[in-house]
Amino acid sequence: MVSYIAKRILAIIPIVLFATLIMFLLIRMSPVDPAEAYLTAARIHPTEEILAEKRKEFGLDQPLIIQYAQTVIKISRLDFGKSYLTNEPVWDEVTARLPATIQLAVSSILVSILISIPLGFLSAVYKNSLIDTFSRLLSFFGASIPQFWLGYLLIFFFSVKLDLFPVEGRGSWQHLVLPTFTLSLALIAIYTRLLRASVLEEMQESYVLYARTRGIKERVIMVKHVLKIAISPVITGLGMNMGKLLTGTIIVEQVFSWPGFGRYFVDAIFNRDLPVIQCYVFLAACLFIVCNLIVDLVQLYMNPRISWKGRTDH
Amino acid sequence: MFKFKRKTILVSVMSVLMSAALLGCSEKETTTTAKEAAQQTEQTEKSVTLSWPRDIGTMNPHVYNPSQLIAQSMIFEPLISYKEGGELAPHLAESWSISEDGKEYTFKLRPNVKFSDGTPFNAAIVKKNFDAVMKNSKSHSWLGVINALDKTEAVDELTFKMTLKEPYYPALQDLSLVRPVRFLGEAGFPEDGDTSKGVKESVGTGPWMLTDYKKDEYAVFTRNPNYWGESPKIEKVTVKIIPDPETRVMAFEKGELDLIYGEGVISMDSFNQLKESGKYTTDLSQPVGTRSMLLNSSNEKLADQRVRLALHHGFNKQAMVEGITLGLEEKADNILSKNFPYTNIDVEPIEYNVEKATAYLEEAGWKLPAGKTVREKDGQPLELELIYDKTDPIQKAMAETAQAEWAAIGVKLNITGLELTVQIQKRRAGEFDVDFWTNYGAPYDPHSFINVVAEKGWGVSEAHTNLPMKQELDQQVSEALTSTDETKRQELYGSILKTLQEQSAIVPVSYIKKTVVYHDKVTNFIFPANRDEHPFYGIDTSN
Repeated sequence: MVSYIAKRILAIIPIVLFATLIMFLLIRMSPVDPAEAYLTAARIHPTEEILAEKRKEFGLDQPLIIQYAQTVIKISRLDFGKSYLTNEPVWDEVTARLPATIQLAVSSILVSILISIPLGFLSAVYKNSLIDTFSRLLSFFGASIPQFWLGYLLIFFFSVKLDLFPVEGRGSWQHLVLPTFTLSLALIAIYTRLLRASVLEEMQESYVLYARTRGIKERVIMVKHVLKIAISPVITGLGMNMGKLLTGTIIVEQVFSWPGFGRYFVDAIFNRDLPVIQCYVFLAACLFIVCNLIVDLVQLYMNPRISWKGRTDH
Repeated sequence: MFKFKRKTILVSVMSVLMSAALLGCSEKETTTTAKEAAQQTEQTEKSVTLSWPRDIGTMNPHVYNPSQLIAQSMIFEPLISYKEGGELAPHLAESWSISEDGKEYTFKLRPNVKFSDGTPFNAAIVKKNFDAVMKNSKSHSWLGVINALDKTEAVDELTFKMTLKEPYYPALQDLSLVRPVRFLGEAGFPEDGDTSKGVKESVGTGPWMLTDYKKDEYAVFTRNPNYWGESPKIEKVTVKIIPDPETRVMAFEKGELDLIYGEGVISMDSFNQLKESGKYTTDLSQPVGTRSMLLNSSNEKLADQRVRLALHHGFNKQAMVEGITLGLEEKADNILSKNFPYTNIDVEPIEYNVEKATAYLEEAGWKLPAGKTVREKDGQPLELELIYDKTDPIQKAMAETAQAEWAAIGVKLNITGLELTVQIQKRRAGEFDVDFWTNYGAPYDPHSFINVVAEKGWGVSEAHTNLPMKQELDQQVSEALTSTDETKRQELYGSILKTLQEQSAIVPVSYIKKTVVYHDKVTNFIFPANRDEHPFYGIDTSN
C-alpha cells in the first residue's frame, strides 16, 4: 500500500512537468508578444526601445529551452513573477483570493452531497415514484441550464423580487447562498443520476438476493450493503469535480461579484497578464492531479473489491 | 481495525471540508456586522453608492493600470482643470503665464491649499511630483508635455515654473489629465522618491479621501476635511466592484446602488429597459469620442480616394446607430465631434448614397462582371478584410452590417474577429485593410488626435500613408502643435480636419456617449467635461 501511494505521488512530478511544458509552449505559440502584452496592460506605448528592454528583463531574448528551464525552476519555488497589471507577485495575489474560491467550492460540494445522495438513493429505491420524477426533473434542469443564466434568475427572484439575499459581494452567509446553489445545481444533477443508476445496478446483484433470503431487513440491505458500494462512482465524480469546481467558479464569481481567483483570472485573460495565466494553469493542473489521487485512495478504502495488491502488481 | 480507519478518514475529510466552509463564514461574520452598522449610519448621512467594473487599484497619481481614473481623480487634483467646450480653468494654479517663445510656463499656485493630512501644497511639492514623474519618463512618453519638458523649478513658495525644450501648445491641456501629472502629498512618497514602485499613503488635495477599501469588493470615499474648495454636498461615496453588467443592473433595481455611470457599463438593452420603466432618471452625455473605421490607404485598392469615398457613401450610419446602439450613440458626420476646442468647423458630411458609391467605383475602374456579385479590376476582385475586437458586441454587429451594406455595392468584405491585443498589434503595424478606431476624448483631443495622424506606430498615420498630401498634412500637424498663435492654430486645425474628411481614410460612424441611470434620491448629476474625471462635484441627494 505504501509503495503504491509513493509511486503515485512520484508520478505527479513528470505529469506536472509535462503540464508546464504544454502551458509554456501554448503561451509562446500565442500571437501576442509577452513584452508587448506587458506594455499594453501598463498603457505604455511600445516603442522598439522599451520592447527590447522588457524582452531582456523577462528573459525572452534567451533560447526557448533556457526560458523553459528558468520557468520550471521559478515555479518550483512558487515564483510566478509579477502580474503585468498590478505589478504585485502573482503567488501573493492568488493566495489572497484563494480562500474566497475555496469557500465557494467547498460549500457547493457539501450542498451537492447533502442533497444528491439522499435524493439519488431514494429515487432508485422508490423507482418511478413521485420523488424519482422530481429528481429526474431536477437533474434535467440542473444539467441543461447555463450557470450564468441560473445565477441571473436566482438574483432576479431571490434578491430583487423577494429581497431575501444580497445581489452581490461576499461577507455573510447570506452572500454565500445564491452562488453556492448556482454552482451546486449542476453537481446535484450529475450525482443524483449517478447514484440512482449505481444503486439500481447493485440491487440486481446476487448478494442482495442472498441477503434477502437470509432475512436481513430491507433497510439494512439498502443502506449497509447497496449504498456503500453504489456510492463509489459518486466519489470518483466528486474528486474529479473538486478540481473542476475550484477552477470553474469563474462564471459564478463574475455573476455574483465574488472576489475569488476565478474573477482575477478573467481579468488576466482580457489583459493578457501572462504570469497570472501561467500560475492559474499550473494550479489547475496540480489540483486535478491531486484530486485524482485522493479519489483513487478513497476508492481503495471504500471498495474492498479493489485490492492494493492488484494495483501494485500491474 | 481497518473499518475503523476507513471511517475515521472519511469523517476527518468531511469535517475538514465542513470547517473550511464554516470558517469562511464565521471569519466574515464580524465584518458583516461592521458593514451593517455602516449601512445604518448611511441612512442618516448623505451618501451615494455606485458600481465600477474593476477594482479601483492603488491610489497613486503617477501610475496607470490597474488604477482607475475615476478614483484617482477624486483624490488628486491638477494645476488646471478642463471645462465644458475645452475651456481651461484655474484649479491648483490660480493663474499662469506663458513666455513669448512658448517655452516657459509660470504658474501662480493657489494659496492656503492643504493636503488631506494637513500639510501645505506649495511649489516644492509640485516640483517633487514632477521629478517623480520624470524619473520614469519613458512610461509617460505617450504624453506630449512629458516629452517636451526640459526642467522644472520652484521659484518661490507659490510659484512654479516649467521650461519646455520646444513650444508645445497643448501643455496646459495635458496638465489637466488625471494622470500622471497630479499631486501627491509628502507623506505619500517612498524613501527614494520613486512613486512608480508604489506610494506610502494616498494623500491628495482633492475633495475626497479613501477611508475604507477592500480589494475587489468595495472602496469608500469620505470628504476631505482640509479641502480648499467648496466641500461636496454628499458626505460619502461608496464604489462597489461589480464586474458583471447584468448583475449591476439588478443591484441597481434592488436599490443596492444609487447610480450606474460610465461608458459601456451596462448593455444598451438594459439602459433602454431602465429608461422605459419610468422609475429612474437616465441621461446621455455629450459625445466623448467618435467610433470610426480606418481605411488603410497603404492597401493598393484603398489608396484610391474614390474607393474610400464609395465605401463611406455606401453604408447607412443612421440605421447602424439606431439598430445596433439602440440610439445610445449618435450618427457621426465629423471625425471629431464639435465639443472639443478647434473642432467646431463646418465640413461637408458624406451622406449615405448608394448611387454615388457605385458611380465612384465605376469611375475608379471597378466594374461588375456579368453574373458576378463582386467588382473586379484587371482581373482582381474588390475584396477587403475588416478586423474587429471579437469581445466587443458593437464592433461585431457593425462589422456584419458593413459586410452586408458593402456587398450591395459589389465590395466583398471579409470580417475577422481578433483578440483586442492582437487587433491593436495589427493596427499599430499597419497590417489591416479596415479597422475600428476611437479617438481619445477630452482633454486629450484634438491635439492627441492630430498627433497620431502624423506620428507612426498608432495605425492612424498608417491609414493615411498613401494620401497625396500626406507630407503637407504632417507638416501642418507639427505646426499646429508648436504654434503659439491661436488664430493660426484654428486655421491649421480647420485645414487638417477638412482634408481628413475629404480623404475619408477615417470614416466616422458614431459619437460615443457616457450613460447614467439613477434613483430619485440623486440630484444635480452633471457629466464631467473631462472624460476621465469623477462626476461627484455638484451631486447631491434628497434625503
